[in-house]
Amino acid sequence: MSESVLSPGIDPPSPTLSARLHELADYLTAPAVGRLTEEQRALALGIARRMVMDIAARLDPAIDPAALWNEWLRGGLPSAPRLAGVCFARVEEHRWREQSTQRSSPPPLLSEPEAANDEAPPVGEALSDVDQAYLALQIADRRRFDALGNPAIAIADLDSETFRALLLDIAAWRLAEVSKDAKRAAKLGDAVRAETDRHATESGIADAGRAYHEALGADAADAAAAAIARHDWPVLIALAAAAHRRSYDDMALALLTAESAALPSLFAPLRLDRLALAPIEASLAMLPARAVGDDDHNECRSTERVR
Amino acid sequence: MNERVIRGRIDRSGALVSADAPLLRLQQRAGAGLDKPLALPHLARLVTLAQRLHRDISRPLYAADDHSDIHALVRITPDADGASLEITDWRTRPLSQPQTPPIAEGAVVPQSWAWECDQQLRIVALRAAADAPPVPEGWEGRSLSELFELQPDDDGRFPVLRALARQARFDGQRVRTGQMMMTLAGEALFDATGRFTGFRGNAVAAEEQPAAQQRNPGALVDPAFGSLPLSDPQFGRRIDGALRGPLSRIIATAETISGQFDGPIRADYARYAGDIAHAGRHLLGLVDDLADLQNIERPGFKAARDEIDLGDLARRAVGLLAMKAEEKGIRIDAPRTDDRAPAYGEFRRVLQVLLNLLGNAIRYSPDNSQIWIRVDREEDRATVTVADQGQGIDAEQQAVVFEKFERLGRTDSGGSGLGLYIARRLARAMDGDLTVDSAPGQGARFTLSLPVRDDDTRDVSNRS
Repeated sequence: MSESVLSPGIDPPSPTLSARLHELADYLTAPAVGRLTEEQRALALGIARRMVMDIAARLDPAIDPAALWNEWLRGGLPSAPRLAGVCFARVEEHRWREQSTQRSSPPPLLSEPEAANDEAPPVGEALSDVDQAYLALQIADRRRFDALGNPAIAIADLDSETFRALLLDIAAWRLAEVSKDAKRAAKLGDAVRAETDRHATESGIADAGRAYHEALGADAADAAAAAIARHDWPVLIALAAAAHRRSYDDMALALLTAESAALPSLFAPLRLDRLALAPIEASLAMLPARAVGDDDHNECRSTERVR
Repeated sequence: MNERVIRGRIDRSGALVSADAPLLRLQQRAGAGLDKPLALPHLARLVTLAQRLHRDISRPLYAADDHSDIHALVRITPDADGASLEITDWRTRPLSQPQTPPIAEGAVVPQSWAWECDQQLRIVALRAAADAPPVPEGWEGRSLSELFELQPDDDGRFPVLRALARQARFDGQRVRTGQMMMTLAGEALFDATGRFTGFRGNAVAAEEQPAAQQRNPGALVDPAFGSLPLSDPQFGRRIDGALRGPLSRIIATAETISGQFDGPIRADYARYAGDIAHAGRHLLGLVDDLADLQNIERPGFKAARDEIDLGDLARRAVGLLAMKAEEKGIRIDAPRTDDRAPAYGEFRRVLQVLLNLLGNAIRYSPDNSQIWIRVDREEDRATVTVADQGQGIDAEQQAVVFEKFERLGRTDSGGSGLGLYIARRLARAMDGDLTVDSAPGQGARFTLSLPVRDDDTRDVSNRS
């Protein structure tokens, strides 16, 4: 504890009381700043849990992931500050996508079923480079969910430092369990090295986005405009990240916390005009509890509630 | 997405001074009109916001009238005299949405895989639940029907393929993957423009593993849907059954319309209905032919050995097709009632062959011509010959007339090109044969010969 939040003379608090007092102290420091909603907290915790369990399973299938997570839940996640950024970016992206899914129009009623597939190339035809890259991007994106459709972070999408930090934290926890068994401890060390090497060779959604952007070439602007029209946000984020040479998480966070006036500059490399950006602006304006200090956003939220 | 832009103009006092039709209608349904304050509260608030911020804003717009919710996107450009509105992506949806419970979301299904495919049925996601068997390697981008071998349901249907055509949810699609039987269910997915983007669902391990069936190595492989057991007789019977009912209904309905049984309609509409009925009958005939073809090409197919009389069967065939002949003014010279040709063969199959021969003769004979049917005996063969006055068949055509799908260059909708092939296969399955004798301009004579039945005392050789 870096600073006491208790008046002198009060007995040392319970961990729960301590945590709540810290939270209150943070709140009193900046009461006007929006806090995390319960939904954001739950999503972030779930994403972190799935990520820890995935890495633990890779490191050593014999690890009991429930025991690991329960212990970390009680004592706190060792790499919490490092995880906060990636988890928050994933949470906000997920909320945005969910909102778009729920608000999209119902599908058209088909009077002529075959007419709906007019865009589809014949099955079995070899895929073009662009289509192949788009398919790879979709696959990379869907790896960011668990089997029940909950948002997750694919290990391949983690930056190497975060991955290594988590790997070492989990290995340290495991080492405490198997410390009496020198052979297993040595094996754990080998596994850490092997997984670090393996991670360096893996490609995630950022790589898939770059490949798609490269395959599109001059058509990237059209593809981005189409992604906006379809509310295909992961493709849009991936294209923007590739155009800016930034990571997918960075780009997602930049976009999801951007004020309306900042959107044109975010999409400048994709050469999207302001009219094309209107659906993004509108969609982001709808997202509740977005971490942006934009007056018109806050005002719009209040009008939403009145409605 | 509807790209049409609907425009409007608000003056300094907040009144709607001009509006394209949809916006004006909405304003009117809200009890106002032109030059009246904007009566759409959400839009009015957004206009105020844009004016306060002194800049363009783009926002979703929600409005509602008696029967629908309206979702759109509005761009508001404020200026010194008020504000301009540009509304795009105008979508209307009914007030009550049909609520269909999601299949794949929320519920924990044990022993299952979660999958998702794109609109080409290419797998983009496949994950195993905690207690499920591991997913196969290399699933990425493979066709769903390649990864999962589709099995027809009890009606011979493939739910996923029907769902693909209808872009709708499905369940109960049985599949085999490796040695494991699973059942697929999926929701259709759509993007914001309403475009179908694929399916997402579960693959649940079937509780009972049926004994592994031997796959037919000759099964046809469809590039879209993988292996379908097209050569499986069971499958053929199901397809046959599935097609025959709907086709019969189409024909019956089209004939009702064509015949104007429910009242007069325009003549050209009645003619179209007649065309539909005709095409339906053709398709039904094709279904019959294909069902026959599949049956007779089955290894070990053998016809029954009934005691039959070719004379009797010929007269029955004439009775069945007499009306058709009459329509063309064709006279059929059928065997006399005492002309008998006792033989061995399967009653209904011989009748089928004779109907085919006589039907062809009627179809390809000129109007007001004549067709002869004669029964005879040649040594140990009883024969029946159908002769017409059509254009005849030259020697080259005679060599191929019994080939499968051979129509001698005809392109009309009269047949499938399977009838004579099937007829000869049937004749040979009854230890008989079907031959043709013809010359250009002299008509054609088709002769069916079958093993003679000697125990009859009164055969055709006694006829006068």
